[in-house]
Amino acid sequence: MEEPTGTLRYEKIDFLGEGQFATVYKARDVKSDKIVAVKKIKIGSRMEAEDGINRTALREIKLLQELQHINLIGLLDVFGQKSNVSLVFDFMDTDLEIIVKDSNIVLTPANVKAYMIMTLKGLEYLHQNWILHRDLKPNNLLINREGILKIGDFGLAKAFGSPTRINTHQVVTRWYRSPELLFGAKQYGTGVDMWAVGCILAELLLRVPFLPGETDLDQLSRIFQVFGTPTEETWPGMKSLSDYVQYKHFPAQQLRHIFSAASDDLLQLLDSLLSLYPPRRCDCTQALQMPYFSNKPPPSMGPKLPMPTNLFKMEIEKPSLKRKLLDNIEGGSVAKKLLQF
Amino acid sequence: MKDVIDVMALQSNRRERRLADYRSGPGHSLATNFIFECGIKLGLQPATVATAAIFYHKFFKEADKNDYDCYVICTACLCAAGKSRDEPVRLRDAVNVAHNSINRGAGPLELGEEYWSWRGAVAQAELLVLRLLGFNLDAPSPHRYLLHYLRSLQEWFPASQWRSAPIARTAMGFLQDYHHSPSILDYRAPHIAVACLTLALHVLGVSVPLASTLDDDAAWYSVFTKDLQKEKNWEIMEKIMQVYSKEPEPI
Repeated sequence: MEEPTGTLRYEKIDFLGEGQFATVYKARDVKSDKIVAVKKIKIGSRMEAEDGINRTALREIKLLQELQHINLIGLLDVFGQKSNVSLVFDFMDTDLEIIVKDSNIVLTPANVKAYMIMTLKGLEYLHQNWILHRDLKPNNLLINREGILKIGDFGLAKAFGSPTRINTHQVVTRWYRSPELLFGAKQYGTGVDMWAVGCILAELLLRVPFLPGETDLDQLSRIFQVFGTPTEETWPGMKSLSDYVQYKHFPAQQLRHIFSAASDDLLQLLDSLLSLYPPRRCDCTQALQMPYFSNKPPPSMGPKLPMPTNLFKMEIEKPSLKRKLLDNIEGGSVAKKLLQF
Repeated sequence: MKDVIDVMALQSNRRERRLADYRSGPGHSLATNFIFECGIKLGLQPATVATAAIFYHKFFKEADKNDYDCYVICTACLCAAGKSRDEPVRLRDAVNVAHNSINRGAGPLELGEEYWSWRGAVAQAELLVLRLLGFNLDAPSPHRYLLHYLRSLQEWFPASQWRSAPIARTAMGFLQDYHHSPSILDYRAPHIAVACLTLALHVLGVSVPLASTLDDDAAWYSVFTKDLQKEKNWEIMEKIMQVYSKEPEPI
């Protein structure tokens, strides 16, 4: 008997949402009996207006085909049908944004450590393969019911390391955007992802976004109010960045006053992730070797990690997971994303 | 002064005549020439143009050449290659460059029916190409291997000897030209890179320093790739040379 392929292979279970560019549904893989998420990109209707197949989708396909790691979302299959392209992903029950916002969930230090380890391991693998994610934020850190965190949404990810390549600085959702990006740096490295991880760690502790800037200028102002305004001594070359503007002098605050419940080893990690001067920021490997990760308490085991209390109810009432999946789709073009701010 | 102008006119005239006439080339005989010409005109990097040629060869390994318009597929391959290598081509540019290469001397297409049908055809073809490739865009590029080997060899050669012959340019040239042949799909990227390098050394009459002291004088490339036999290497080199023995199109 011929193996089922394409649409025949995936039995639709539930509709998760529809955006302008794609439809997402939950499905059962007939071949493996696994639950998957199918993201169907509408091409036919947009092809005339756009430059052919969606570049974001293609980038996601290409990058994910070469990457295999437990903490990165798995692209299981890609198939075309008529004028559509569908991407088949691991099905993920929830994401870190939902967990952070769920007031019924208590995040213990052990939970926070577990999320950080999984995020950093996935990101370390990505960086070792010379790829920047460029859009890390809590709702791109997907979590399944086994408590495994996987980094998702590679629509903005890109290879890095070429000294001649000019990148756009219009990446990363503002609240997680590093100061060099906000100053318009066109050449950057893993530091942009590390900064975002620092903001996510801070958010896990505070349970609200750490630096919720309303504009790009406000974002920098919030950063400097916490870490102090950098000078040419603490950040050589800062003034030559294309969008550099002079900020009034803010003194640096003590992180322990903001994160009063955090342990010293955690503050050390946070301080290293959120260094204003990009070369001073630690990379994933360095971060994972810091005392925080070997000190007590040990990270929670996957099944012990909390799940949203209304996870099962959500499935019936069209979950807000839908919102996140749609966000990803809308995130197709950077310009669009910026307009939403 | 007049003489100079005459000579230049003659030369440019000759050059003009040497450009391929895609309308008269039978079937797919000029397909890869078309990809290379349009790719260069679109300002794409050599490795991206090479990727487009690979997409083309892969497509017609599966599909029947009589079923599809050669130049629409070629244009679609360029668009798909551009996207897969993060060097996107605007569909309108691609269509205009393709149209202008086929109809030499014609201006840009008006935004009329012809333009829209071209554009629609290329967009559809792009998706078709990707589907036929099974969305496998991550082909290992022999360019990267060759670059790496060249850099290693450069360290091994005395600087003066390395400078005296255009080894890198010749080898890269062979690699690029080999993309005219569908046989490029039959070999692994590191093997192709070694073959281009070996051929360049032979053509330029350069030998790798101290290689003659080895039991097997071809063994120098075993540091790059262990599983390439001498016979296989020769086989690939012959395939590369065959590209140049292809009859020039009648003008």
